[in-house]
Order: sequence, then structure tokens, then C-alpha cells
Amino acid sequence: MRIDEHPVLSFERGEKINFFYNGQEIEAYPTETIAAALHAAGVRKLGESPELHRPRGLFCAIGNCSSCFMIVDGEPNMRVCVMKVRSGMRVEEQRGKGVVGI
Amino acid sequence: MKNRDAEIMICRCEDVTRETILKCIAEGYQTLDEIKRVTRAGMGPCQGRTCRQLIAAELSRHYGMPMEEVMMTTFRPPVKPISLGALADAYEHERTGHKHEKIV
Amino acid sequence: MKHIEVMVIGGGPAGLCAALAASSLGAKVLLVERDEIPGGQLVKQTHKFFGSEKQYAGDRGIHIGQMLLENVIAEQDIELWTDSTVLAIYEDGVVTVEHEGKHTKVKPDRLIIATGAAEKFLSFPGNDLPGVYGAGAVQTLMNVDGVKPAKRVLMVGAGNIGLIVSYQLKQAGVEIAAVIEGLPKIGGYLVHASKIQRAGIPVLTRHTILEAYGNGQVEGAIIASIDETWQPIPGTEQKIPCDAICLAVGLSPLTELAWQAGCAMAFVRELSGHVPVVDDLLESSRPGIYCAGDVSGIEEASAAMVEGRLAGLSAAFSLGYEANEAKALQQSAMEELAELRAGPMGQHIRDGINKVKLKRKIGNHAFENQTEKSGIVKDYSSDATNTCRAEIKTSLINDGIPTKEELDAIYPSDKRLTEGPIAIVECFQEIPCNPCVKACKRGAISMLRDINDVPVVDEELCNGCGLCISLCPGLAIFVVDKSYSGDMALIKLPFEYVPVPKSGHFVAGLDRAGRELGRFEVVRVTSGGDKNKTFTVSLAVPHDLVMEVRGIRIGEQAI
Repeated sequence: MRIDEHPVLSFERGEKINFFYNGQEIEAYPTETIAAALHAAGVRKLGESPELHRPRGLFCAIGNCSSCFMIVDGEPNMRVCVMKVRSGMRVEEQRGKGVVGI
Repeated sequence: MKNRDAEIMICRCEDVTRETILKCIAEGYQTLDEIKRVTRAGMGPCQGRTCRQLIAAELSRHYGMPMEEVMMTTFRPPVKPISLGALADAYEHERTGHKHEKIV
Repeated sequence: MKHIEVMVIGGGPAGLCAALAASSLGAKVLLVERDEIPGGQLVKQTHKFFGSEKQYAGDRGIHIGQMLLENVIAEQDIELWTDSTVLAIYEDGVVTVEHEGKHTKVKPDRLIIATGAAEKFLSFPGNDLPGVYGAGAVQTLMNVDGVKPAKRVLMVGAGNIGLIVSYQLKQAGVEIAAVIEGLPKIGGYLVHASKIQRAGIPVLTRHTILEAYGNGQVEGAIIASIDETWQPIPGTEQKIPCDAICLAVGLSPLTELAWQAGCAMAFVRELSGHVPVVDDLLESSRPGIYCAGDVSGIEEASAAMVEGRLAGLSAAFSLGYEANEAKALQQSAMEELAELRAGPMGQHIRDGINKVKLKRKIGNHAFENQTEKSGIVKDYSSDATNTCRAEIKTSLINDGIPTKEELDAIYPSDKRLTEGPIAIVECFQEIPCNPCVKACKRGAISMLRDINDVPVVDEELCNGCGLCISLCPGLAIFVVDKSYSGDMALIKLPFEYVPVPKSGHFVAGLDRAGRELGRFEVVRVTSGGDKNKTFTVSLAVPHDLVMEVRGIRIGEQAI
């Protein structure tokens, strides 16, 4: 859920855009990170851990840890907590270690 | 009830649980570097930023060693993953003064 | 390879101030920041900062960050690389940076490491479930992206971060089930704890999280009381339904680059982990490499800004820039740091720094150890200054709610109370903060020795104008007017939530623990201004409740 009214901040989000999460179309604003846009849409599970396949969500949100790795436009290991969402972007859950397609 | 330690994540990047870390310590491993080599804990993309302290705390507890004495791991460059392409570009640029051209 | 005089790694409060200080003396600076927008954690600090005017106290962190960044951008001698990550520092002093997607080498004459810190993680079953977040992550989601991180949160940790983020969550309209803390006392500033208690958020010390549960994501947590040996007490387990668990269990200095550079490191518990050892001027054991901010010990952002300034000055000075002026500026930065650390809350920092301070070899550098030579730096650690400094020993330290004795000691005389409005400053802990002193145009609020003192109100000088209410960063000042009418008294409260009440509204009046005392009429609402953003709400309450009502609630929202 997005914050509409805040005692200190005002959010200028710009024009709505759409991107794809596991093939499903999701609305977002270009000022948001991928992780934030997914959160706003109620998606908190971003992938599965490499060995034990435990569900993973974001943890640090500033690019320190690796908990938010997703596949973005085919490229794995993207830190979606610091990566801005773009129109038409295809974001997928990463399961296991990201392997670059050959 | 399930083994609690198997449900405690220590290294998120390499999926190492507290159960694995305690097993290592029980087998006699004594330093962060040893545990890192055996389990890969701390070798993942975050380079131990989240797990290093937790493993050090386990070692400190087990061996009755103050944290001051628990050896730290070595820090090798780079501190974050970088694409091989970027490295190749830099190498090529340094060697020839030209930008690396993709071979088609 | 790029050559530069001073390179600053990290564009947080320390790095921004370092770059500005070095360039102010004439040095050419390269500032490298991994994020798209510099500011570090300032970009999400919506609360007003403590400290003194020199560290921009009273301004909100976000505004301080914007101001520093604007100054950096306006400064021609600072080159700013954003979206750029330093990958390594090599023995020969070469620094490699991922800049614009390329691997770039820089050779600086002086290097300032201001990489900040990372949030600590905690061991408990389910600690990796989606919904277990670092406190900073929650702040980023709500204050940068404007997205609610959850509906109901359990906060783990009652240091300043845990308390402040709980308050900010409440401001964003998120419910906080409780703030739990393993230690027997609140670690953060008590005014932050008081603020959230009167909003109805319980702070539970000597409590721990036993596990997080949920199918695929957090659905709740089990907490329990712990004994002196940190063991959970059987039978005290409580199930807390929540959709997020927020960890505010401390920060660790981000020291990889300092290690790589070959700086001497030491584990100092008081400074929160392994830190590079530095001298008075913040130079590490590697000549020409300076460290500033959280990387050399976790402290408040106000201290990080001063450290950054000091490191920037030291680096430029050592390159030969404006030696005389630089010395005086260094001196005043060192004095500011000493003052910020002088109170009981700075004890651990003083201890930590004293443990490992690097002694500067006189004659080895272009400058010398000025603290020892000149003796000008005021010694805040001497017994004379510290005899009156004391930690709070009452239950206030456990829950943030002042006791009757503490309150009685600060209340004005009965005679003065009946004469007209007067400020009541409910600030009992010696923390480095003094905007209230500056706020009073009549000079009615004073501190005895320095900014760590508890403010005292002169009941003759104070006319109850209430200007101080919206200027206190701790929201700890109230104005009481018993002369308002025969059966009603007036209480003026600080207010930072939405929606803002209007005069004529009836709202719930809450006591210091967030309990409702009745419904009362809002008589007046004044704005602190566009930048200040704190409102002052005047509420008419019965005379016998004017010393009890300290918060309001509109609808379901406790305030």
C-alpha cells in the first residue's frame, strides 16, 4: 500500500507505468525501486534461497545484502531494492543461484 | 518440534544455517576463515556483511573467547560483484588504449 | 588512471561534510557514492536532529541531507560520481571504482573512507522469512519510496533507531505491536521512548524474540521475557500477530575497504565492532588515509558530520592548503566532537576511542598533535565536568515514562501555575541537544554547562508563549495554562501526524502511557511552518488532568 498523506513528506511519483512480475502486469511509479513497487502490490516474496529453497524477501533495502536478488529482463542477481522500476521491465523470481544464460 | 537451529539462517547468500555452523564448530573448526572455506558462509555476494558477526559470536560463545580474539576473515577485492565485461573493458583499455570490442 | 587530490568514499553525512570541508580549503575533491542520490541514511531521516546549531540541530535529517548535497553540487572543486561503487583499495594507493558501468582506476593523494555501516542481523528461527526487515529497510520503503512496509510491525531493539523508526511507522499509518529490547533498559534517547509510549506503543525491556512464524512470509512472532542471563523465562511466551518484524539491533561498521587498504584495525565493542584505528585528526595508521563517520565507530549522524568535516580539513591541510585557518577549524571540530560525546550517552564512545586512539608521531607529518600541544580543546572528560552527569536510575529508563518524583521535581510552583501559561520541559536525560535554549526569545530556558545538560525553565522569565514546543527535536515540551477558565485548563502539545485536528474538534486525550483520559475540545491549532512541520495543538481539559494529558487521538489513531 502506498502512503498518500504524510505529516512530513510529500511524494511526487510522476506518471503511472506498468511492469511485469512473473508475467503478471503490475502498476508502479518511475520513482520507485522494483522492490518498493512489488511491496505496494502486496508482493513480498522475491525469490527462493539458492540451496534450501526458502522464501526470500528484502532485508537491507540499501544494496548491502543479497536477499532481494531477482531476474530483471533476463539478467539474474539484480539487487531490486536499489534498482528503479522501468516501464515494460520483466521481473522474475530468482530460484537458486543466478546463472547467466549463454 | 523441528530442529530450531536448522530454522535459523546465518548466511543468507550461501544458505548456511546455524545447525551447519555449530556442526563445523563441533568438528573442531576454530576460525572464521576455516568456517568460511568449509561452508561458504560469507563468500556470497554480500561478502559476509550480514553473517560475519553472527558466526564470530558463535565462535566466541563456544570457545569462551572474547570477540576481540575471534579472528576476522580476510577481505579480498572486489567488495561487490562486477561483471566480467566491465573488467575486460578496463583491461583492454589499459593494454591498448582502446575500448574492448565485442567479437561478433 | 585519474589523479585527484582528495578522494572521499561514501556520500553520507560524513562523506558530504568531508568533501565540503576539503574543498573549502582549496583542495580538488572526488566524491564517490554507490547510490543514485547521495545523502546516505539522511535521505530517510524524517525526524529532527539533536545536537547543537553547528550540527544543524532542530532541522530534519532529510533537509540536512538536501542542504549538504546542494552545497556539494554548487562547489566547482568537487567532482561527484554517483551510482559508482569503490571496489578495492590497493597497497600502492590505487583505488578501483565501478563508474558508469566501467572499471576505473583513481590515484588520490589523500583518501577519506566514509563508508558508513550495515545493519546487524539476529539469530532466531524464521529469521529469513520475507517480512523480517532491517529497520533501515523499513525506513527506505516508507520514507523514500512512500510504500507502507506492513500493516502491523514488531520492533526488535529500543536503541535510537528502533524508537525513531517505530515513531515514523506510526506517522506512516502503520500499527506497532510493541518495541522489545533484550537489555534491562532503553538504549536510545528517553524522549523518543516517551513519544511512542504516549502514542500507545508499549516498550518492553528484557524481552526477546523466540521465533518468527508464517507460511511463506511473516504472520507473527513469539516473544518472551528473559532473565539476567538472557534465558527466556518459561511461561512468559506471547504470540504477537504481525506481518513484519523489524530488526533494530545495531549497526556494524562497513570496514572492508579499510582492511584492504592495510589500515590497522581493532575490535572495540564500544564502537560496535572492528574499526580502523585513527588519531585525533582521523588519520589511520596508513598515512594519507582518513576515516570518518560510522566506519570508525557507530555514533549519531551529528557526530558523523563533524568527523567528516574534521577528516576533510585534515586531508586538505596535510596537502598544504591554508594552514592557519585550517588549524582553527580543526580545533573547533574537535571541540564539537568532545562536546557531543561528553554526556552519559557518550560514555561508551569516549571509552572506545580512548582504548585504541592512535598516537600521532610528532614531526612525522606536516601537522602535529594539536590537542596535546596547544591544550585548547576543552576537556569534557575531566571529573570536574562529569561529577553531576548521571544515568537515569528510575523506571523511566525501562519504559520512557517519567515517575511522579521526576515530574514533581520539574513542575513550576503552584503559585506560578495559577498565574498563567508556562512551559513544562519533560526532558530528564542528559543528551547532547540544545535547540530549546535558542528557541526561547526571552532566555527562559537554560543549560548549566554545555549541550548535554537537562534544560531548566525560569518560571519568572517564561511567559508560556509556546514557541519552544515545535522546536524541541524530542517533542518533550508542553505548555500548561491553569488560568484558562474556572473549570478548564489548557494544555498545548506538539503534533506530527495526519490528519491534523481542527479547532472545535473533540479528540481523545491520552496520558504518558497512551491511555485515554476522556474526550476534550481542541481550542487552537498552530503550524510550526512549512519546513518545521510540527503543529501545536491546544486542548481544553479539566484542571486535575492538565498534568496528565500528553497526547491526543483522532479516531483510532493514537497520537
